[in-house]
Amino acid sequence: MIATIAFGLLLLSLVIQIVFLFKKEGGQDGISPWLSLAAGILLLVEIVRRSIAIRFVALTGMFESLIFLACFLALLIFALRYFKSAKGNRVIPFGATIIAVIFLALASSPLAPSDIKPPIPALQSGWLVLHVSFTFIGEVFFAVGFVSAILQLVSKDEEKRRSYDRITYTSIAVGYPIFTAGALIFGAIWAEKAWGVWWSWDPKETWALITWLTYTAYLHFRLVRKSTSKLVPALVIIGFVIAMFTFFGVNFLLKGLHSYA
Amino acid sequence: MKAFFDKLYNALRSVKLAVVLLVLLALFAIAGGIIPQGKAASYYIEHFSGAGSRIILALALDHVFSSFLFLLVSAIFAINLTVCTFHRLTNELFKPREKRRHGPDLLHIGLIILLFGGILTSRSRTETFINLRKGDSARLPGGAKIVLVDLKYEQYPDGRPKSWESTVAIDKNPPPEASAPVLTHEEEGGDTLGTTGFADPTLNNSLSSAKASSSEPATSSAAPAAPAISAETGAGPGLPSSPAPSTPIAELPQYRIRVNTPLRLKGYSIYQQNWHTEKQVVLRDAMGMQFFLEPGMRETTKDGFVLFMALDTSQGAGGAAAVAVAAAPAVAAAPSAIFLLEQNGKRTVVKAAPGEKIGSFTFSGYIDQPVSGLAVVSDKGYPFVAAGFILVILGVFITYIRKLKGILA
Ligand code: HEM
Repeated sequence: MIATIAFGLLLLSLVIQIVFLFKKEGGQDGISPWLSLAAGILLLVEIVRRSIAIRFVALTGMFESLIFLACFLALLIFALRYFKSAKGNRVIPFGATIIAVIFLALASSPLAPSDIKPPIPALQSGWLVLHVSFTFIGEVFFAVGFVSAILQLVSKDEEKRRSYDRITYTSIAVGYPIFTAGALIFGAIWAEKAWGVWWSWDPKETWALITWLTYTAYLHFRLVRKSTSKLVPALVIIGFVIAMFTFFGVNFLLKGLHSYA
Repeated sequence: MKAFFDKLYNALRSVKLAVVLLVLLALFAIAGGIIPQGKAASYYIEHFSGAGSRIILALALDHVFSSFLFLLVSAIFAINLTVCTFHRLTNELFKPREKRRHGPDLLHIGLIILLFGGILTSRSRTETFINLRKGDSARLPGGAKIVLVDLKYEQYPDGRPKSWESTVAIDKNPPPEASAPVLTHEEEGGDTLGTTGFADPTLNNSLSSAKASSSEPATSSAAPAAPAISAETGAGPGLPSSPAPSTPIAELPQYRIRVNTPLRLKGYSIYQQNWHTEKQVVLRDAMGMQFFLEPGMRETTKDGFVLFMALDTSQGAGGAAAVAVAAAPAVAAAPSAIFLLEQNGKRTVVKAAPGEKIGSFTFSGYIDQPVSGLAVVSDKGYPFVAAGFILVILGVFITYIRKLKGILA
């Protein structure tokens, strides 16, 4: 119910943003960031409610993962207005809102049953909570980087491209350390504690590594390439597609240790 | 010559090379992430087109992560990383102190240590699985003995597992064994009860006290008493128990092992891997004494032995396959069982249903005995990996916190 209201708020925000996108002049509208904030807070309430119900951080199923992603993305969309380089930009929050709406739409699909289930023994671990939450928060920044990288690729104006490059790089620069800690390191520490093996090349691990290698390649490529090169943002776009495949594709298409999630 | 080495050095520290290698490694990983790994060649021929399966087999994409090509690229990457880390670190050290940025150095050094740990893990990690029922013991690497003192299993109301917990006692200096069985049964507090896995009922007193405890109806106790007499699975009469006394279990240090909370001992760790139940047959002798046998175990009689071979699955009742996970074991009605009976040197295979007689025993039914699955792992690489993790986290956060300060300022 709470998630549905949040979904409605984000849809409303999307409609308002579309209207403002058609206006030639002016910056971002004054309403949609607040709708985003409200949606983010509601989703946070839902996560807390579910956590209390199972007496553990509710982050262990597909539904919970999706509302967590949408929650932090909605909060980040609100925060964008306070960042110098993104301030007043209408298209980045718009793109990011679409992604948040997709997350919530998927959360309400039959692919993600929303019944509240307490975690099985392997999932009762603080490292798992750190692993999942850091990974998703990192990915939320990658989502903003993804939108900005697309704009960077399609924009013809050199000045705009530079400005998008800054936003792309800043998003990855925030997301990358968080993702590195969450997806690779906390994940490996959890696997070692739970199974006695810190790396086992299971499909989810392998795909998380591919995601990380792609962003690592982006960061190094950017060091040696001019910021106007098209290949540089392309890596950020590919990185996010791979991150999403790691999240959805591996669960539904490939099976492994992680297939409970 | 110097020019050549300069060129080589410059090539090996090049970030462009790093990007190419990172992309190559990602492509290898994608192949490994899509193509099912470690199957027989026929699998790929069946599931991929002619050209596809030829490429997979030629490039060893059926076992990417241990293939020569992948290891070669990884090796070049490791050299590239080491050279460039060295180069950057030395450059940085020549800078005035306030201009130095050591974030990327920490990060790259952490990665080198991590890679080193990874290689060590892949070369030296060992893993042994042991299945213990309450009272069972097993030898650990290095000679210590582990005894399962208690095991607890909790379920959620919907039947999903809530927790698995084993309490174990570790005997660091157990007496030497007459033979070296993989696994033996012991009675709690019972000192010399057949560390060889076999004991003659007439041998000592502790045995009879153990027998007394196990003759209680198993259904009435929350956790089953350990089988009083363990029997060898191999042929032959077995050896009498070792005369050397071992430390009573109550005096040994005890530890709890839960999922996500392994027991760390010197040189190895023990993990709660899984939990299952095992069907044992319950035999009753003329005195009403109960004996529990798992498949392959036998019980000696005056004129031979009875060996429980297997459940009779041919009946299709599903009883054998559907072994329910139960917190407390219960004697359950189930299909027939197949026994090997030896009487005065003559062996016969007997099929019996619960209630029927087998030699001098009555086959009174089944018991679901909970079994704790533990993994004993030794991984010399992990301490390096853990050190690498710490450096990588420190390095990556220091790098970007500094950078973002610059960007956002
Ligand atoms: C998986 C392996 C690697 C990871 C995770 C990694 C990570 C990083 C990160 C996060 C940065 C900061 C980039 C930025 O400015 O945003 C960096 C910088 C750098 N990396 Fe790597 N790196 C790796 C391998 C390599 C290799 C093989 C080389 C060898 C050429 C290399 C050379 C450099 C250099 C020269 C810098 C620039 C440092 C500076 O800003 O002064 N890295 N690395």
